[in-house]
Amino acid sequence: MTSARDQILGTLRKGLRGTTQPPLPAAQSPRTLPVAERAERFAAVLTKVFGHVERVADLRAAGERTAAILAAANASSLALSDAPELREVAAALPSDLRQLPHDAPRQDLLAADAGLTMAQWGIAETGTLVLESAREQHRLASLLPALHVVILPCSRLLGTLAEAMVRLQLDGAPSSRTITFISGPSRTADIELELVVGVHGPKLLHVLLVDGC
Amino acid sequence: MSHPGPETFAQNARDALRDPILTGALRRATDTFAQRRTGAIAAVPDWQDLRERARAIKAHTLARLDHYLEQFTTNAEAAGTTIHWARDAAEACAIVQQLAEQSGARRLVKSKSMATEEIHLNAALARSDREPIETDLGEWIIQLAGETPSHIIVPAIHKTKEAIGQLFVDKLGIPESSDPQVLAAHARQRLRAHFAEADLGISGVNFGVAETGTILILENEGNARMTTTLPKVHVAVMGIEKVIPRFADLDVFLRLLPRSGTGQHLTTYQSLLTGPDAKGQGPQQLHIVLLDNGRSRIACDEVMRETLACIRCGACLNACPVYQSIGGHAYGSVYPGPIGAILTPQLSGMHSAAALPFASSLCGACKDVCPVKIDIPSLLLELRKRAVEGTASEPAARGGIGERLLWRAFAWWMGGPRRYRIAMLLARLGERVPFAKRFAGPLRAWQSSRELPKLAKRSFRSTWQGERS
Repeated sequence: MTSARDQILGTLRKGLRGTTQPPLPAAQSPRTLPVAERAERFAAVLTKVFGHVERVADLRAAGERTAAILAAANASSLALSDAPELREVAAALPSDLRQLPHDAPRQDLLAADAGLTMAQWGIAETGTLVLESAREQHRLASLLPALHVVILPCSRLLGTLAEAMVRLQLDGAPSSRTITFISGPSRTADIELELVVGVHGPKLLHVLLVDGC
Repeated sequence: MSHPGPETFAQNARDALRDPILTGALRRATDTFAQRRTGAIAAVPDWQDLRERARAIKAHTLARLDHYLEQFTTNAEAAGTTIHWARDAAEACAIVQQLAEQSGARRLVKSKSMATEEIHLNAALARSDREPIETDLGEWIIQLAGETPSHIIVPAIHKTKEAIGQLFVDKLGIPESSDPQVLAAHARQRLRAHFAEADLGISGVNFGVAETGTILILENEGNARMTTTLPKVHVAVMGIEKVIPRFADLDVFLRLLPRSGTGQHLTTYQSLLTGPDAKGQGPQQLHIVLLDNGRSRIACDEVMRETLACIRCGACLNACPVYQSIGGHAYGSVYPGPIGAILTPQLSGMHSAAALPFASSLCGACKDVCPVKIDIPSLLLELRKRAVEGTASEPAARGGIGERLLWRAFAWWMGGPRRYRIAMLLARLGERVPFAKRFAGPLRAWQSSRELPKLAKRSFRSTWQGERS
């Protein structure tokens, strides 16, 4: 008996033989945005889709702002990714805050009030955060809690989506097994097209753009 | 609960038109989406170039689909993904069923996917007591109500918030509310419990990259991320037409799809998954089920092939005057609207869906908004032709002798200037006879919603001749 694979490919091979084959459009050099415009554009676009963006001087200042944001949200537990930069940020957090590392029990992570991660890239044109699993175990901390705080170095801001696609491909392969793009808090308009912010993912998204790192 | 099929399209449409809640909701929704789309694409100066590029990429890929599927498979397998091939719906359902059994999965969650709707996966899995919980808010509402989606992007577009509030009272035992914020909060809480204990997650695929074996999933709610992250096994069902050649091509489609669908510049989340990612907090196994179910046949049909270029944005639904009036259920198929009218007869056979290609005024709005420039009106005409003429595998499904005689007579009357003049003369005389403006017999149906145009007092021809003499 022919396998499904052989049969499907066989049908296609036979049926497509001799068909006109329009050429694949050549790769384009990616559009870009001037570096000087990126931070402002990123903040403007992300704010429009209900994200919060602030600029801070360094990682230490990012830690102080994170502490304030967590306090304002009454968060008592924080899920963290394993990004090394976060150690400096976490140092500024109050001692009574329960910090959950990336490998904490799943039940604890599901119940965490807030999550803290880095982002490896930002895309100015679309207000997008790009998180790569090979660089940082981000999947749970950036998704499960209702509040997500993200640290993004200004130096990692790209202009466009096309530029990001170039950076995310190393020697032909994607940079990570999981690449997550985040542009704003979780949302839905499934009930009478009325916008609700915060369904399954975070309801609040705070991005701290760090100048000096 | 039984659902009407495409065979009874005319009756379904009449029923839909008699439902004021449905028609009101549809009008609001389709207008809103059309406006948002217009706003979103106005901000993209190279929109037309982008459409052209996407169309060219799809045309190229579909003409070499065998090659790109093999490349996709090789690269996905190299990354640790297990690829399965399914000739039809039954085979695809059986594969998912087996995967659930092999991994000992009892609790399944699912994110929104048209391909799984197409193969009726939930019903198949329910037979072994493994029906997945739908986790997209709209799909979950539909599942609780025992209904089917009425729009590709907004499945519960036909339901009011009051009806959803009542549904939640009945099914979840929560206090009555018609506030979407409150209802969504309940959904979050309930579905959290399902996510926490799920051992297998099912998703669709928006794009599969041949060059890398990557799949891309777009969404706004975060339920697809949950579904593809928390359970230890992830099964993605992917139509074979979803493959694109290069990683960089994602840029083109990501700029087109959300703007065309919801008018967003980008949906909130994109997940790019290449192989299982247990080390990165993801599932231990990633399975991709490549679904044919009639697609290879469409790909081999040079005229109809471009049907497969569809990226399921829903723009043609929102733009279509027929869809705007009757909604998705009347089509009686998983894919409604203009794209459904060309896709359904090809996937499920002309016999059951012959009425659908005729459910269009051929106004061309669908073609104008299509991000990949599918010439839907031409394909509708081609399918009408095939329905009337029949094909080798499917004899004529429509067109009685009366209709054919009528058209032949019409062609004869219009076939020469003399005959045409006589016809017009008779028509002018006929207009003066009371009641003559009402057709009798089969033409009555045509007139039930149309006024016969009034002829000018004087024809252009006689005016022209009068001027010259």
